[in-house]
Amino acid sequence: MRLPIQINEQSAEPLYHQIKVQLRALVVSGQLTEGTLLPSIRELAQTVKCSVITVKRVYSDLETEGLLRTRQGTGTYVAQVGEQERDRYRLAAVIEAMELAVVAGKRVQCTEAELETIFKETMNKHFE
Amino acid sequence: MMDETIAIRLEGVEKNRSNFRLGPLHMSIPKGCITAIVGPNGCGKSSSFSLMLELTKSDTGTIELLGHKVGQGRNTELMKRIGYLPEQSSEHEDNMKGTKKAEFYRFWYDSWDVNRYRELLRILEVDDNGTLGKMSKGMRRKFEFALALAHGPELLLLDEPSSGLDPLAWKTMIEILHRYMDQGDHTILMTSHIIEEVKRLADFIVFMAQGRVLGMYEKDELFSSWSTLFISGDELTAKKAAGAPGQCGVEHAGGTTYRITTNKAAEAEKWCASEGINIVSRQALELDEIMSALLMQDRLSKRLK
Repeated sequence: MRLPIQINEQSAEPLYHQIKVQLRALVVSGQLTEGTLLPSIRELAQTVKCSVITVKRVYSDLETEGLLRTRQGTGTYVAQVGEQERDRYRLAAVIEAMELAVVAGKRVQCTEAELETIFKETMNKHFE
Repeated sequence: MMDETIAIRLEGVEKNRSNFRLGPLHMSIPKGCITAIVGPNGCGKSSSFSLMLELTKSDTGTIELLGHKVGQGRNTELMKRIGYLPEQSSEHEDNMKGTKKAEFYRFWYDSWDVNRYRELLRILEVDDNGTLGKMSKGMRRKFEFALALAHGPELLLLDEPSSGLDPLAWKTMIEILHRYMDQGDHTILMTSHIIEEVKRLADFIVFMAQGRVLGMYEKDELFSSWSTLFISGDELTAKKAAGAPGQCGVEHAGGTTYRITTNKAAEAEKWCASEGINIVSRQALELDEIMSALLMQDRLSKRLK
């Protein structure tokens, strides 16, 4: 199985973080349902062109968070995600994306008012 | 000392020749991973392989392969667990037929798997019926590659595996190697000049130059720590820009903008933020750029001594 994880090589964000955030989002959003077998460490490393060390770290971190579980010898699966956790993570991802957007705006010296206008325009575009 | 997680260990290995000095080499290649050695021509990559396989003897130091010391009498059993693809095919085999060489391999390797061998030939589209000397360079390379894998070795030593391969065959080779790594506790140590190949395959990268190891790095860490930043600020000078953490080069890029290369990307970005310097853009470095920066640093540090 190919996971829809996309890597931005030019980003300042470490590879490890990029993969973790995206994989977490896939699990929390329910796109990957409970019990789904994830690709092997080598397989995922190959598709996103990173080392197995990085993927190992991502898998074990998400396992600690309770989102994945590893069965010895068979592979890594998506664990059961509770309603509460789902909500918490759901917003966390959005908040993070929002922050990134604001940082991007500040980088090109946007004013607060400008950012607000952009935010409203984007909202209008998607919620009609 | 034996370590279960190390496939190859070199300690203080040296080899002196009249025109080249190799070492002292220190290296620990982890099991279950792909490690790529990169470095300019003549830096001692292939010589290191010869030492590991005891094709040449080292003057001093110890070499351990899969937990066994090399260089203490016969080690046929150990060599059976290893697959080796040399950089160049031997001329004296030019008149040999492919099938003959395969027979020879089958004789020596107990675990020779004829089905795996046939399968590899099929995937790589090689006909082993021809004479080795008459095969094209790429064809012969593919044939030798299949031979090195057919006995299911625990450790693969590949010396520039892709030289002479066309892009499609190259892709097939990468896939075969990935599949090989997925089966249990396998280890690959390879050399390569092809950046894309190292990027796709390697977990660890070892830099070598002039017979010495400059450093070993985890691939993702290496690429994330090196970057080029374009920074600008009203009172920014070249001198100030040179103070960035991990700075390995400053260039003026017009106005008050400077281009700095750093091997501590995260720290450099923090430094910019605390100094009120604007980061205009950032770029990751390619492997060749990192290599030349490392070589430059090495040369500078030697001059200081």
